[in-house]
Amino acid sequence: MALFETRGLTKRFLGVTAVDAVDLTVEAGELVSLIGPNGSGKTTLFNCVTGYLAPDEGRVTFQGRDVTGVAAHRIARLGIGRTFQLVSVFPRLSALENLLTFLQQHQEESLVGRLVRAPRVRRLEAAAVERARSLLDSVGLGARAEAPAGTLSYGQRKLLAFAAALMPDPDLLLLDEPAAAVNPTMIEQMKAQIRALHRQGKTVLLVEHNMDVVMDISQRVIVLDHGQKIAEGPPEVVRRDPKVVEAYFGR
Amino acid sequence: MRATRWVLGSAALVAVPWIAAAVVPGQQRYVLHVLIFTVLYGALALSYDLVVGHVGSLSLAHPAFFGLGAYTLALLATEARWPFAFALPAGIALAAVVALAVGVPMFRLTEHSFAMGTLGFAIATQVVATNWVDFTHGPLCVTGIPKPQVGALRIATLPAFYWMGLGALALVALLYRGLTTFRLGRAFHAVRDNETLAAAASIDPLRYRMLAFVIGGGVAGGIGALYVSYVGVLCPGELTVSLSVNLLVMVFLGGVGSLRGVLVGAAAFTALPEILRMAPTWRMVIYGLLLLVIVIRAPDGLEGLMRRASSRRRRPASSGA
Repeated sequence: MALFETRGLTKRFLGVTAVDAVDLTVEAGELVSLIGPNGSGKTTLFNCVTGYLAPDEGRVTFQGRDVTGVAAHRIARLGIGRTFQLVSVFPRLSALENLLTFLQQHQEESLVGRLVRAPRVRRLEAAAVERARSLLDSVGLGARAEAPAGTLSYGQRKLLAFAAALMPDPDLLLLDEPAAAVNPTMIEQMKAQIRALHRQGKTVLLVEHNMDVVMDISQRVIVLDHGQKIAEGPPEVVRRDPKVVEAYFGR
Repeated sequence: MRATRWVLGSAALVAVPWIAAAVVPGQQRYVLHVLIFTVLYGALALSYDLVVGHVGSLSLAHPAFFGLGAYTLALLATEARWPFAFALPAGIALAAVVALAVGVPMFRLTEHSFAMGTLGFAIATQVVATNWVDFTHGPLCVTGIPKPQVGALRIATLPAFYWMGLGALALVALLYRGLTTFRLGRAFHAVRDNETLAAAASIDPLRYRMLAFVIGGGVAGGIGALYVSYVGVLCPGELTVSLSVNLLVMVFLGGVGSLRGVLVGAAAFTALPEILRMAPTWRMVIYGLLLLVIVIRAPDGLEGLMRRASSRRRRPASSGA
């Protein structure tokens, strides 16, 4: 059984079919890229499977469970983490607090316990801080833990958003253009991070425009054009597929 | 050092009635009266800041919750002869339950529509209080609300009311601290700053908005009940929109989302007009000008001014060391 699957997933906006009957399968432990020209429906597909948009037709299953139309915060709780194309962090919270925010729903803690600062609550908080610090270290932001996220550079905020998505240890991680508008050094760092995740056995679905990144790290590539899946396969095969070449460069 | 300051500060607050008697012997009743309003307004402003400052929903419904608690206590204590110890929780509970019922449809509205919707609810509540004469006595007001009595403890004197208000403020401040720090506080701020990202962090925005709205409403109801048991009279005029405006001024004047800021704002708001009584003709003009200056010079409120001042004081010291 596949970890994650869509069947006939369709989303229309005012008569425009942004995602058109897409079947997509991701097995546990895979590193898959979703590519396609601008406007081909990649981000819309991400939003449909993470509860931000309700699909018009089709099914989404995760760990054998139908999650079609389930609210975004529930999807996240089920173990699907995601990042956003535009950098998304809580600017007024520190880097560390940004990460802690992502862990919290996975901790049981009662309001009364919170008010009296029960020892259990303190222990949970200490463990969360420890995990957050080690994740910040792993993306090279250890020294900026206390800095408000809004004061970090664009690339640093992207790394922070990435680390935050990892905080609850999701079973499936959806990354929306992690390398977009990031300088070359940072791209190398991001690639290394994603590879490291893959080595740890994590399942990653990546939307990316940067072909170097896609070809370099993915095991399998799925190509969307005008909302439809036009090709699927290993990177070197997809790269030479005439339909893909046509979608990107025209005839 | 911090702990000592804390203990001394609390002791000074508790000792205020004696201090007032010693410092301004002729005026101590008046000073205490202003201080009772200050502590009650402080607690009310904190409950309002939970909603406006921490989850970032501009609710204008607060006078309605204040009024619900006030009318519940007033009517139960006069008509049904309920003791204070039952009427107060009833006021808190009714305000919280109504906040729950009103919040569910209201939070389907976003930003401006939410402000409009809650304003509509506040106005409707005041209209009902004014016109349902058989039940609320309308403009004839509920009079003769008895002084609170719990067992042998009777709260009747000004110092007693001051201590009651101070105790209520301390409880509300504790609740405020508990709700706005660590896990819960982070969830509130996540929802306020970026709802989309909050959902990706498994945080249900509606749930946290409701939590702040219902607790804020319940606390406002409780303060309303304490307020009428002090004043002894309740008229529909207490529930007007101007209460929302006052609360907004306190919260924004003091510093949105900050315990110290909101309390300073509430104190400045209630004490300033009284201090300015020394210049009766120009009182409201000076008051308005002061507000303008603060808004222009310190858009983040008095809290921002205080924070900048203390960091300026600290910087030369640390660079010398």
